[in-house]
Amino acid sequence: MLRNCTLFYPNRANKSLLRRLPRCFSLDQTSTTTGSSHQQEQQNADTAREVKHHENFASDWWNKKGPMAALHALNEIRVPLIRDGIIARGIVNSAYINTTNVLNGQRILEVGCGAGLLTEQLARLGAQVTGIDLGEELINKARSHLTESSPELCSKVDYKVQPIDQHAKTNDNHYDAVIVSEVLEHVEDKVALLEASVRTLKPGGSIFITTLNKTLPMWLGGIVLGEYVLNLAPKGTHHWDKMIAPLDVQRILDTMHCQTVLINGSTYDFWRNTWRWINSTQFCYALQAVKQE
Amino acid sequence: MLLMLRPKGASVAASQVRSLVKRLLATETASTPAEEHYDIIIGGGGMVGTTLAAALSKNRTLADKKVLLLEAAPEFKGFSASAPFHNRVSAISQSSIELFKAIDCWTHIEKARCKPVKQMQVWDANSDALIHFQHDNFASDVACIIENNLIIDAAYARIRDAAPNYKVLNKARIQCVSLPGKSGEHNTRVQLQDGRSFSCDLLIGADGANSVVRKQMGVDVLAFNYDRMSLVANVDLNIEEGCDNSVAWQRFLPSGPVALLPLSDKQSSLVWSTTVPHARQLLAMQPSEFVDALNEAFCRQYPRLEVADKALQALNAFFGHQGSQHQRQYPPRVCGVQERTRATFPLGFLHASSYVCNGAALVGDAAHRIHPLAGQGVNLGFGDVRELVDTLAAGAYAGFKLGDSQHLIKYERKSLARNVPIMIGVHGLHSLYSTQLSPVVLLRSLGLQLTENLPPIKKLFMKSAMG
Repeated sequence: MLRNCTLFYPNRANKSLLRRLPRCFSLDQTSTTTGSSHQQEQQNADTAREVKHHENFASDWWNKKGPMAALHALNEIRVPLIRDGIIARGIVNSAYINTTNVLNGQRILEVGCGAGLLTEQLARLGAQVTGIDLGEELINKARSHLTESSPELCSKVDYKVQPIDQHAKTNDNHYDAVIVSEVLEHVEDKVALLEASVRTLKPGGSIFITTLNKTLPMWLGGIVLGEYVLNLAPKGTHHWDKMIAPLDVQRILDTMHCQTVLINGSTYDFWRNTWRWINSTQFCYALQAVKQE
Repeated sequence: MLLMLRPKGASVAASQVRSLVKRLLATETASTPAEEHYDIIIGGGGMVGTTLAAALSKNRTLADKKVLLLEAAPEFKGFSASAPFHNRVSAISQSSIELFKAIDCWTHIEKARCKPVKQMQVWDANSDALIHFQHDNFASDVACIIENNLIIDAAYARIRDAAPNYKVLNKARIQCVSLPGKSGEHNTRVQLQDGRSFSCDLLIGADGANSVVRKQMGVDVLAFNYDRMSLVANVDLNIEEGCDNSVAWQRFLPSGPVALLPLSDKQSSLVWSTTVPHARQLLAMQPSEFVDALNEAFCRQYPRLEVADKALQALNAFFGHQGSQHQRQYPPRVCGVQERTRATFPLGFLHASSYVCNGAALVGDAAHRIHPLAGQGVNLGFGDVRELVDTLAAGAYAGFKLGDSQHLIKYERKSLARNVPIMIGVHGLHSLYSTQLSPVVLLRSLGLQLTENLPPIKKLFMKSAMG
């Protein structure tokens, strides 16, 4: 996996990137509207629409062959990425490495956990995971699945219906890792989300992001083909406006004193429901950034 | 291609069986008390099942799992290296030996007894075609002949080391299995014929060609009998002092291949695949009669195909060899057969279209069964073991449940990709050599001789067959 890793030097890249700053913030995209309250309303309506869209699939969320099949398959690469990313920070006791208790004692926050596909798997590796999501039905589904299928993990997992900014108020400098997986592409105000996420992170802790790139191949392959032709994801799940390029994410994180240490490109082979790492971030990518001391 | 192999109709019957089983289970389990839970239950304590348990116990990621091995036979009696050779032996390939080394079973086996094979000679009864398999300058062995019981003994030693997490239950026959899924159940539940029942995250079927686990999984299979039987026996050889018995011999007769695999300097194991009446006849013969029949099988002249011989001569001339007999050796004379070692078993082909489902997986003969002519059957099973342990360890280290089909499917993909070509190859060889039709004899002779004369092709063949 490490062969795809790229180290970025934010200081060198910063100048040219700064010029691209305005384009990528949703706040600027809606700047034609008159008042900030109107803007806020629009954003809330949009968030509500996204939450509703995802809640529609709550009952089928854990069906491996259902609408979330690709998300189930994504665990195959994102769990090892997070696990090895945490190990690489040197905060894992070497006795735990290569055991199923590898994340023992690590406090992890998953922002936008849905019905807990990733949450449960991280808890199974010993981590203490908090999963927050805005969808009440999703959290209900997550809780019921946990108690039914993996009751032994109940003490390791805490689900909450809570927006991240609210969670950040009471959990400053609290987590060893924060995960924003397949969430950023559904959020209008990415800066606010990332800012609050980073605030909950201990210095030296890592934020892991997986999302879609904002490229033409991704739009054609992921949305046009994926949602409207092959039905790999439900129609209306992804929108061009909300997709974001890795350099933009990296630049936002730079402003929050988070240094990006890893960007891996990935792609999805729909014919065998398998994700794999590739040498290009044209389609999807995973990013790890470390909060500076 | 695999889709084509699925017989239609089998799935209907299977689903009926499953629904019946579910109803049975629902009524019976209501009364039983809470059952014991294991992470992994292995059904079947043969070579593959016990080796799998040993391999799991030696894996760092899986070492702390609770594992139960269910075996239908009474407790294993152990192995004595001073006892006469057992009649069930296997040709173990280099890659299987690597597996034994990795799980600390190899020293145990080497210390007892095993016979390395330096060279293999395979030849055709209907023409002059022959092929030798060996590594350059005999640098390494082609295979190793090991008694099945010794492999099981070595594996049990590792399983005992892993107690109390690893348990063996003898005289345990699986009655029925309920898989997780539709009924809202999250574990696999196993019920034994004596009424005991267990639950587990993953049930592994290592219970042979008539696998109960496979039937309960409702997997479609492609299976047929070859209408042939294999006769095994341990025979004494007439070998001069100082000569080394380290060549494996196999001659393709019109009725099937006859093979001698070295067991010691003076003894070899016979595997004679032939028609059912002939096998019965051989089994009933007096020892002296049997020895004569066997010696005749290796030396007798069969009607030859002249065209094939001429073509081979031309081919050999092209490659610059003098005549066709250039490298032919003959096996040593058999001078006796060990008492009570003669036994027969039927031959068949079986291919399971799927090796895994949620909560269960298949390994070894439960998933595939082939003709013994290439000695690949159990090696495929050991390949499954290696693949399955790696997959389970990677899955557990990524937080997957052990029985999660999302991850288990990786094992299936890798194993199918490795096993199916070998299965097709072995079945193809059987079909090719079970006829005396002239064009086929000509083609197979030319093919064999061409392989013999083209080292790169031969090496490729050896690599895929012997690891």
